Amino acid sequence: MKTSKLAWTRRQFVSTVGSAATAAFVADAKAFSAVPKAKENTGKRRIALIATEARKYSHAQHFIDRVLEGYGWQGRHHRPQLELAGLYMDQFNENDLSRERASRHRVKIYPTVEEALTLGRSKLAVDGVLIIAEHGSYPRNERGQTRYPRHEFFQRTAKVFEESGRAVPVFNDKHLSTDWEECVEMVQTAKRLGFPFMAGSSLPVTWRIPSIDMPLGTPLEESVCVCYGTIDSYDIHGLETAQCMSERRAGGESGVKSVQAIRGKAVWQMLEERKNTQKLFFAALSRSFTCRGRYSTALPDLEWLKDNHEHPVAYFLEHFDGFRTSVFLLTGLVSDFTYAGLKRGNGEIVSCQMYLPMPPALSTVADFFNPLVNHIERMILNHVVPYPVERTLLTSGMVISAIESLYRGHALVETPHLKVAYKALDQSSFWRA
Amino acid sequence: MRTLRKIAFLIEEFVTASPAQHLLDRFLIGYSLHGSFHRIPDLEVSVYLIVSSESDFGSRPEDFPLRIEPTAEQAVAHADAVVIVSRRPGAVANEAFLNVALRNAPEGSACFVYGALANSLASARQFTALAASRKIALLASTPISVTWRLPAIDLTPGTPLSEALIVVQVSAQAAQASPPFPPASLRGAELHALEGLLPVIERRRGGETGVRSIRFLEGKDLWRAGDKGLWPRPLLASALSRSHTPQGNALLDGRTEDLLGLGLVPKLARNPRGWLLEHRDGLRSAILFLDGVVSDFNFAVRALDGSVISAQLLRGAPPAEHHFSRLTGIVEDFFRTGTAPWPIERNLLIAGLLETFAKPTSLSGQAVRTDELSVAY
Repeated sequence: MKTSKLAWTRRQFVSTVGSAATAAFVADAKAFSAVPKAKENTGKRRIALIATEARKYSHAQHFIDRVLEGYGWQGRHHRPQLELAGLYMDQFNENDLSRERASRHRVKIYPTVEEALTLGRSKLAVDGVLIIAEHGSYPRNERGQTRYPRHEFFQRTAKVFEESGRAVPVFNDKHLSTDWEECVEMVQTAKRLGFPFMAGSSLPVTWRIPSIDMPLGTPLEESVCVCYGTIDSYDIHGLETAQCMSERRAGGESGVKSVQAIRGKAVWQMLEERKNTQKLFFAALSRSFTCRGRYSTALPDLEWLKDNHEHPVAYFLEHFDGFRTSVFLLTGLVSDFTYAGLKRGNGEIVSCQMYLPMPPALSTVADFFNPLVNHIERMILNHVVPYPVERTLLTSGMVISAIESLYRGHALVETPHLKVAYKALDQSSFWRA
Repeated sequence: MRTLRKIAFLIEEFVTASPAQHLLDRFLIGYSLHGSFHRIPDLEVSVYLIVSSESDFGSRPEDFPLRIEPTAEQAVAHADAVVIVSRRPGAVANEAFLNVALRNAPEGSACFVYGALANSLASARQFTALAASRKIALLASTPISVTWRLPAIDLTPGTPLSEALIVVQVSAQAAQASPPFPPASLRGAELHALEGLLPVIERRRGGETGVRSIRFLEGKDLWRAGDKGLWPRPLLASALSRSHTPQGNALLDGRTEDLLGLGLVPKLARNPRGWLLEHRDGLRSAILFLDGVVSDFNFAVRALDGSVISAQLLRGAPPAEHHFSRLTGIVEDFFRTGTAPWPIERNLLIAGLLETFAKPTSLSGQAVRTDELSVAY
């Protein structure tokens, strides 16, 4: 692992973040000026969007268009109170859309991250920053993880903040980094500079079918997500699907003690041995709209899965308070994200689908980005994050450790550094209006 | 609660992804219900299929307790419940099947009709009377009336309403993001629209009163009527904001533009048509068929206090089309309790409206009085 540029050890991080992470990250601007207090705003706030590539259905396209064109929200076409003032594109795909968007909406594309943030001047000139480093051509490390430049974009952003003596809210799309030390550094930097920092997947904020919430303080003992996709890509979505529910359990999140990732038929053996996980697995699967068994209406059983699904991937995580999380990546069996959680004591199972109308099959515009962009807008306007960034810090660490487990041949990986404790906010942030 | 030991299906065709397949498989094989897989134990399913129609039962007769019967009468004999399924989209009822079912199924059984109950208000009333005389519980529906709504809203009972609007399509919109099996006929789209709208607006203050007049508009006349306020543009905006499938530039490059606000709706709409309905209590509702604009079903209603609620009527992806699971769960409850989840008058009104819509005289572009549609419930 790389050494953090900042003098911040895992132990220091655990002791500091673990105890202080319950706050909602209202900006603390002691050392920095011009960070407004939470308030209602009327004028548009200028933002910079720092992205890897913008083509049809890349993440950057989804974010750029929602800021520039608006999107459906609460029964109307909502135009955000945000002005895309500075755009930085790291790569221009042959199907690039950023130039067309910039031309049509008169947005300037700057040649560097720093100039997009300062709008070509000497100091920070925007009120919020979106870092969308998903998609594009980037090298992979020896574990197969794509080294998207999220950490680099973030640190360059933070440097501008420091040089400007002013920090503004930042959103980072998906997981923080492929390197734990970098993840820690990002969260620590945000705390040190006192700016609201929001990150993660759209899964926790999209529609749920049925539209259920997990009441804060629910005595949960286990969560399962059944989903699809590849490691270091969709696994973060599955983990955030589970984590946005798990974190609401009695006592809050305690962090993750160990992670084991398994690929192939051993997944089904593990599922056979873990009876509660098995119950939750099938409860989650029953919420799927896309499960493909022998008949379209029937759920497969474990025997059918053993015979017909040879390439499952599963992550099994144990938390410090004994809570368990399992995520199953079942590409070919399902193409949606479903969740089930087991309540302690009465054995009640809570389950739903986190509905992802994915284009082009189910939609034309990937509207699950609507609530995410709306949360970002409100963070920039009001300087309050909708959920603790510790969620995504922890899920980033889960991904990294799970991939480490796969790399080490399905080894159980002890994760003392993932003692990231935090409490969820009272208000859930999923789409329901 | 009644015991379900035998269900009879009278079906016009059985092909993959047909309503018959969706419903029969759920009763025969099982389906997802309330977070678990549900299968009715020891249920015998008998089927009568019109001779010469398509059938693709595969290995079902070998794998499950499925009996193919030579006549409809034999299929419904001794059945606790009967399911009648005409061809998709269910807008043209198979009245012969319903006649057989209501005359031959045991007293005390229940009968569910997929789609329109009957092809006229008069015949719907006759069938309702026949069912009552034989103590057979009767119900008709499509999944649209019971599917999930995004958001999961409902009208608070007794809310005074002023206007309502629903957007549907007649046929597939584009190669991309096509909804699961669109109605493929105006009559089918009309059925879907009524199934989407009536369950919402019938909860208004005073309940449903019936329809006093209807008016059909198409092309530029439809847009001019909108300009004049004969149908509510703000409700169209609200309904469209719930769509996941805007067409036009979204197909080109995924952009999330404001279709109505940018004036794109008339440009995108292919053969735009609409029905304007005036209900007997003064409520005005509009059904817009906007092929080429969006490819999902969305509605909006406005209360007298000006507040608007809107939602998408979700249709699950093929091949499972899980909105049929919602419908099956409700039909199974109906079979077990013998109690319909909504008044049969909803089905009467839908039958009457479809009948009236189909009359050439209804297409004049002028308001047509519909005194016969005073179906209140």
